[in-house]
Amino acid sequence: MNMHSEKTARGLAEAGEAEATLRVIAGLPAPAGLEDRVKARLERQPAGSLARVLEWPARSWVRSALARGAAAAAIVAVVAGGSWGVYSRVQPRQAPIAIPHVGGAGGFSSANAVRTPKTLDVPTVMLAANHKSAAGEKQADGKKKGPRSGKTVGLQATAQSSGK
Amino acid sequence: MEIAPSVFEDEARRHVEEEALAALVDQYASTLYRVAFSILRNASDAEDAVQETFLRVLRHRETLGEIRDHRVWLIRIVWNIVLDRKRRAKTRPETDDVTELARVLPAHGLSAEQRAAAAQHHAHVLACAEQLPAKEREVMLLSAFEELSSVEIASVLGITESSVRSRLFRARNLMADLLEHERSLR
Repeated sequence: MNMHSEKTARGLAEAGEAEATLRVIAGLPAPAGLEDRVKARLERQPAGSLARVLEWPARSWVRSALARGAAAAAIVAVVAGGSWGVYSRVQPRQAPIAIPHVGGAGGFSSANAVRTPKTLDVPTVMLAANHKSAAGEKQADGKKKGPRSGKTVGLQATAQSSGK
Repeated sequence: MEIAPSVFEDEARRHVEEEALAALVDQYASTLYRVAFSILRNASDAEDAVQETFLRVLRHRETLGEIRDHRVWLIRIVWNIVLDRKRRAKTRPETDDVTELARVLPAHGLSAEQRAAAAQHHAHVLACAEQLPAKEREVMLLSAFEELSSVEIASVLGITESSVRSRLFRARNLMADLLEHERSLR
């Protein structure tokens, strides 16, 4: 604990020394003739060149009122001419296309339409060559008993052949 | 040919403004130089910053009458200029600081060796100060100017007086840690 407080005290003392250094730096005298050099630089700066960037020069404002009016008229003419040019080049607006209303009594309606699904073709099953005759007999029997789909017959024939 | 009275008024106004500006230069150029030097630590750079400050004032000379405290206003301008320059410039090596400090530090009754040792010590302290966070460093640098109160420092930095105090407290503690750490490494 004592060591810590000693360390802190020493550190703060050093920080105090550091502030003393900063004070020394802050207290350094300015070089001789600084004010004169600054003033000379300010005088070298063209009078009003900085402040008049956005101002109209005062003398010409008084002396050349006619020129000022002419300049203003020229600006107005340029702006107006430019606006007219833009306006005249704009294409006339295309008239909106009216879409005739279809429906009701005079038009087509899908209200009574009946959907007819496409019928699929009967799939054909190719039987093995050695069971062709047996399958043919069974098919013949099936035809005698009643109408059956080709798919069912094919499957039965395949089952029989795998049973053997 | 008749000249409008507004021309004379403008001339008179400009003359008054120029005189006011010259008075400001006489009164505050030295203070501004010291503020600039404490940051830039180079005599010619500091002088340039002072020049630029007064050029900015010249641009806004018509507002001089509206400024309440010219000293704080000017310090604020030079402060912003030097911070901007420092941001753009690369970090100065400590050896440059030692050379410059040896040149500018007062050497009354000191031998060449003592001067060199003092310059080295100050440069080392300044290098440690450079490691502080910007906010704390700025307050610490400005507090070294005895003519600036904490209220004025707050005004220059655009913060409250209590912030100045708390930042200064933190800066002192951090500085103590940094110097302690540096000493343990040696």
